[in-house]
Amino acid sequence: MHTTPVYIICSPRPLVGKTLVARQLSEFLLLKNGDVAAFDINLKEPSLVEYLPAITETAEVDNTFGKMALMDRVIVNDAVSKVIDLGFHAFDEFFAMSKEIGFMKEAARRGVSPVILFVADNDRASARAYAALDQQIPPTALVVIDNEYVLRGELAEAMGYGRILRIGALPSFLKTYIDRLTFSFTGYLRDEQDSSTELHQWIRRNYLSFRELELSLILQRP
Amino acid sequence: MAKPVVIVVGADKGGVGKTTVSRTLLDYFNANHVPTRAFDTESPRGTLKRFHPDITEIVDMTTTSDQMKIFDTLNAVSPSVTVIDVRAGLLSPSLASLRDIGFLDAAKSGQITFAVFHILGPSIASLDEIAETANFMQGAKYFLVKNFINNTSFFEWDQATYNSYFHRIKDATELTIPKLNEMAYEQVEVASVPFLKFVANKGPSDETANYSFVLRGYVRHWLSNVWTEFDRIKLTDLVGSGKPGARMGEK
Repeated sequence: MHTTPVYIICSPRPLVGKTLVARQLSEFLLLKNGDVAAFDINLKEPSLVEYLPAITETAEVDNTFGKMALMDRVIVNDAVSKVIDLGFHAFDEFFAMSKEIGFMKEAARRGVSPVILFVADNDRASARAYAALDQQIPPTALVVIDNEYVLRGELAEAMGYGRILRIGALPSFLKTYIDRLTFSFTGYLRDEQDSSTELHQWIRRNYLSFRELELSLILQRP
Repeated sequence: MAKPVVIVVGADKGGVGKTTVSRTLLDYFNANHVPTRAFDTESPRGTLKRFHPDITEIVDMTTTSDQMKIFDTLNAVSPSVTVIDVRAGLLSPSLASLRDIGFLDAAKSGQITFAVFHILGPSIASLDEIAETANFMQGAKYFLVKNFINNTSFFEWDQATYNSYFHRIKDATELTIPKLNEMAYEQVEVASVPFLKFVANKGPSDETANYSFVLRGYVRHWLSNVWTEFDRIKLTDLVGSGKPGARMGEK
């Protein structure tokens, strides 16, 4: 039986790189599978829907209608990978709701594989949030994103025991470049002839990490 | 043969959630494999019957013929548990009728297990109901139910006043029905199915339905909390079916 991955990129902190990861992952899945459904619950920060409007829809979890619109889509095993860019303000509500409605259990029952990509930071809110997720989410479904640009190599010890996906830091001028709304990671790989550029290698490294993550999901299937 | 069990769910005030509590009881017994029948006294239109049509009969408890239908069949029918959803305003008169026909004496002498779930409203009038109901409670298990499902606030009561009423009844047990998400509650109403079927995504005739996963999740979580309360008061012991085991809806 095929499973449908649902990637939830989250952090209780703003500006740690959630949307950057969501953008890259969405573009990777689009390139690899030809289809992806992205959801943006991030209206108070730089927003995924501004970068990838063709594949992204906005969602909300602060009311029951919004929760139904999002979760009733996400729980369907339709072979279309899902990416959720979960804003810091919606973190608590989303995971409280997930726990209450038994999202992880129902997902397993329906052949949907949620993967929580927790973008780490060094503050107390992140430590508390990670500890709570660690209790709620099976270790195989919880991945820590070590964004070098934010952490500078100082990932908290408690977050270092599970699976970690590392995103290297880019120089500021490249960071500014990829932050442009018109920038596409896949487009850059296709258009840039020189594969030795730092940005080219950075994107390929990240795509490779995503591919390994997908592969590990496939290997976990019963 | 197991002793017949009669559970009366009532309040003298309307809109406090009597039928909702009756529905949770029927679901609880169903999940614990306790054969149960129900009577809905909202004659001629029965809300309980709408949700549990197979096991519910609409009766008018003020008539002798319907009283006979309920109480003369206690030993004769196979479900040993009878749940009676008493219409608003009829709790005290119904208990008076039960006393008059000797039912309360039978409960007192241990021939029948009798329990009353008294659903409390937020007003002080509910406390007067407790005092009134207390007169009939010898030999019965008395449960005072604070029903938060429709967002009732119980803070209008002075705790000391409440306690003074509450302690008039020996061995009264208090239990709480938590709040359920409004939209989830409404959706179950629209679906007209037991909570258990809603959780299992089934329609009235057991056909696969298409209820929202989110709303089903809310109902499952809420129902589990309600059943935890029923487990706490050892409801299955009361009806003589032993400890609750693995049951439907909690898998």
